[in-house]
Amino acid sequence: MAESVKVLPKDIQQMIDVYEWDMRTREGVQRFRELKAKSLPSVALDDELMYESLIPMQEELIAEIQRRYREKNQEN
Amino acid sequence: MNEPGRNKNFIYHTAGVCPPEIHFRIAGETVTDVRFVGGGCPGNAELVSRLINKQPVKEILPLLDGIDCRNNTSCPQELSKALTAAMGGRLSPADSFRLATDPKPRKSIAFIGELGGNCRALKEVIKTAEKKGIEAIYCLGNLTGFDSSNRAVMQSIRKHNIRAIQGEQDWKCAQKAKAANQSSVGARDRDRLAQLPQVIRFTVAGKCGVAFFGDYLQRLPDYSDYEPFSLEMNMVCGLTDFMRDESVFPALEAMTSQFEADIIVFSQPRRWGYWLVGGRHFISLGPAMDAEQLSWGLLQATGDGLGFRIEKQR
Repeated sequence: MAESVKVLPKDIQQMIDVYEWDMRTREGVQRFRELKAKSLPSVALDDELMYESLIPMQEELIAEIQRRYREKNQEN
Repeated sequence: MNEPGRNKNFIYHTAGVCPPEIHFRIAGETVTDVRFVGGGCPGNAELVSRLINKQPVKEILPLLDGIDCRNNTSCPQELSKALTAAMGGRLSPADSFRLATDPKPRKSIAFIGELGGNCRALKEVIKTAEKKGIEAIYCLGNLTGFDSSNRAVMQSIRKHNIRAIQGEQDWKCAQKAKAANQSSVGARDRDRLAQLPQVIRFTVAGKCGVAFFGDYLQRLPDYSDYEPFSLEMNMVCGLTDFMRDESVFPALEAMTSQFEADIIVFSQPRRWGYWLVGGRHFISLGPAMDAEQLSWGLLQATGDGLGFRIEKQR
């Protein structure tokens, strides 16, 4: 799942900060529970659990990141 | 060399003196929490421990050196060797928890959960296990408790060669924590508790198992997420809240491929449970005595693999 984020185009990468949690660690498990995730792998955007178990299509992920980016910039 | 500023626990195995182990902590250049474990004069040992607590190692070494008690050495002399070895990097820091391995592959194991110092319950399980030809008995703690027969429990464990591990209260009692209420546990038995393993690795029906009490291990100083069986503990204690949160079992199942153990046994929740997730067996032990009923778990090889059942006796 982390790979699907890492291979995003450069212009999309510049819009986001990526954090990866290791489920083998207590910190990773704590984050998993905070997000109320149930399955692995999971992707959250802005603390909101978006994808569980399935790896999103790159176009879908890009569209969601761009949507959120636009929303935030309109707010500011 | 010991890295300055780092806090590390050490266990030194002595030679020629009464206590077989010396436990201590090095914080930078100073020593703390010295404990002579398993024998000797507890009063004098406690005094030595207090006198040198938080003192720079290089200042106390001259005081410890050259004291002869028996076998051309002494407790202070052994402590001097231990500190010198630790500061010089020749003694490795102790693992964050004590892991023991049962070297014999087993066909059957009796598991006892919370005993709480109830020797009568322990003796009943021993008697039944002997009658049924069960190969080994494991006690997962707490061994001691409010019951006044804590001493008898510790004696029975030694006498019958029972594999016992520390529960959280046992650990607190071994640390002489004031909060622990096992007032009937004497100094010798506290030392014995301190020497008990906290995790046990075993083999039954060709499968690797791990048994531990619960999440206090994750709060031990220097605990690492990358110790043997830490993943299994993290999944049981952290992810699934001791298997009580079944909604995260899909995530648990995804992680089981990285497990070392096929069987994971724990006793903190004090309730019976058995789950098969991702091909791994998860077993929660209930208390040994509940409403005057004795309960223990029997894990054994069966014709088609592995079986677990709860044995109940009135």
